[in-house]
Amino acid sequence: MNAPSPRKSFVSIAIVGAAGVLAAGPALADIKIGFNVPLTGFAAADGQSSLNGAKLAVAQANAAGGVNGEKIELVVYDDQASPKEAVPVATKLVEKDKVVGAVSGSYSGSTRAAAGIFQAGKVPYVVAYAIHPDITRTGNYVFRVSAMGEVQGRGGAKLVSTLGKKKVTIITVKNDFGQALAAGFKEAAPKFGLQITGEYEYGMADRQFGAVVSKVKADAPEVIYASGYFFNAGPLVSQLRAAGITAPIIGQEGYDSDKFIEIAGAASEGTLVTTSLDRDSDVPATKAFLADYRKANNAGADMVAAASFTATSVLIEGLKKSGGKGGDALRAAMAGGTYVTPIGKLTFNSLNEVAKDIQVQVVKDKAFRRHSVISDAALLAPPTK
Amino acid sequence: MLYVELTAQGLVQGAIYALIALGLTLVYGLLRILHVAHAALFTLGAYVGVIVCNASGSLALGFAAGMVVAGVAGVAMFRLAYQPLLRQPPFVALIASIGLYIAAEEIFRIVFGAQGLSFTAPPLQGQIPVFGGMQFKVAELLMMLSTVAIIGVLGWLQTRTRIGVACQATVSDPQMAESFGITLLKVRDINFFVGSALAGFAGVWVALLNNLVEPTMGSVPSYKALAIIVLGGLGSVRGTLAAALVLGVVESFGTIYLGQLLDRNAIAFAFLILVLMVRPQGLFAKR
Repeated sequence: MNAPSPRKSFVSIAIVGAAGVLAAGPALADIKIGFNVPLTGFAAADGQSSLNGAKLAVAQANAAGGVNGEKIELVVYDDQASPKEAVPVATKLVEKDKVVGAVSGSYSGSTRAAAGIFQAGKVPYVVAYAIHPDITRTGNYVFRVSAMGEVQGRGGAKLVSTLGKKKVTIITVKNDFGQALAAGFKEAAPKFGLQITGEYEYGMADRQFGAVVSKVKADAPEVIYASGYFFNAGPLVSQLRAAGITAPIIGQEGYDSDKFIEIAGAASEGTLVTTSLDRDSDVPATKAFLADYRKANNAGADMVAAASFTATSVLIEGLKKSGGKGGDALRAAMAGGTYVTPIGKLTFNSLNEVAKDIQVQVVKDKAFRRHSVISDAALLAPPTK
Repeated sequence: MLYVELTAQGLVQGAIYALIALGLTLVYGLLRILHVAHAALFTLGAYVGVIVCNASGSLALGFAAGMVVAGVAGVAMFRLAYQPLLRQPPFVALIASIGLYIAAEEIFRIVFGAQGLSFTAPPLQGQIPVFGGMQFKVAELLMMLSTVAIIGVLGWLQTRTRIGVACQATVSDPQMAESFGITLLKVRDINFFVGSALAGFAGVWVALLNNLVEPTMGSVPSYKALAIIVLGGLGSVRGTLAAALVLGVVESFGTIYLGQLLDRNAIAFAFLILVLMVRPQGLFAKR
């Protein structure tokens, strides 16, 4: 019969070529991982850091060839750090987007609500920095890469004793984050012979601490153990110093943001923070992360960014091992692995929690620098069930 | 000594409440609108104050800009949102107001970012020792002094000037006032401008005290200021001032002695409920 006209075959080559280009770009075959994060509302600042960290992990994995040659796509939804928003978000990720795994870049309340849905859908869920103990107890599909609140609190008590101090006043932000820290701190306090001279709580929306500051001054503690987020801690530390209180202040992961130093200004100097990111680390994974993050975002990384980067990377590592499969294959692959991350070398225990050292940073010349490392495997052991 | 200090800290907090609630009282007295979006003007003033001060290096300019912008925005809110709704039942304006506040919060976040802004070189951060080892931030003392001054000036304007008397007349009987040749719209514009400028003024002070302005900084004042004007007897300027100071002190002691049981805001509302059970007309209003 007729030979195909040259024109026709050119067209068909063009179509095949175009299809090839499409397949190489982002297409339906991509591996989707879900990400719930507060991008609006009171936690939006942490949410932004978290998203930056997760995006960096995905970009690096894709630049290195993705998983089995397939690109990874991060499906992001705003949960406003609110349980009632997190439930539909998690449902959408499981049912509509059919993600193979998911990462929480959010706070405890929303993460707890979402965890149950991922567990029921058998979708592995890696929690970056939410610290409520019940999160991993939801089930075996839920993992956490940060130390839970009680563990960090126990580390805080040890830090006080390392500083050679005994009399402590505790100032606690009245939510699960602050209360878990205070509980862990008080649990370990007798072990180190600490004496608690006063204990006060404040609400998340508080920025004015005049009354508490006056009382702390009257208590005259040797150390102040104060929980909160940078937006509470900045004004709090500045007001404590303005009242003439000179006792060292110990904060935690919530302080771990350059914004804290910006708000408290000169008053922030000398503030100690128990966290998971060491800015002066010699560990290649940490150094590389700090440099890459700065290059990608033109700002310094904080703990939230590092933890979200880590959680996302751990999930991607798992996917590489499971060959891109989700479900039980991915869960088992993740549970068995060892991960070298910017926040330390991680392995999951039977509750999918990690044991690691606590990094103590100190504010010096307007930056977080290394102060010390708390390593005490027995004290810092996460629960196993 | 501790009690003196707690009282002093309560008064500092109370002065901030007073500045915010005063504008709200002016609006309520005039139009019977519960103006929740007033707190958005407080936030707006704070943002403008910080941005202008950072750009120009002048805190005075920051204050002026914060007050003028908040004032103009307040008048715009009145003209665009409330005036068309004046014939509707009051709850319609209240709903519009809540909507305005929520929208404003998100606009601040989109325009200025979620992390909030700080002064690059925070002014007035020095400390002044007072008697007995007590110590205040310069900003705290100046805030108190300027609050007293500005409220004094307003009180004088209200009783001693033509426009002030016109405002009072409009509050007590708008129709009668109009028949005496007072232009209602003008009086309402002026009230919104002054009340909103006060909110902006408070915003810049809070920015100075915390060295932080955030999209959500108005969320607590948005409803607490309502509680204060109810406590003071709705529409009463003197009552509002007194209620703001009393509430500041109650909160100050409350956070220390009830803090483990109740949140500071819960203490404020528990106090409000208690007072209203005994005096339904508010602390200071005549029946």
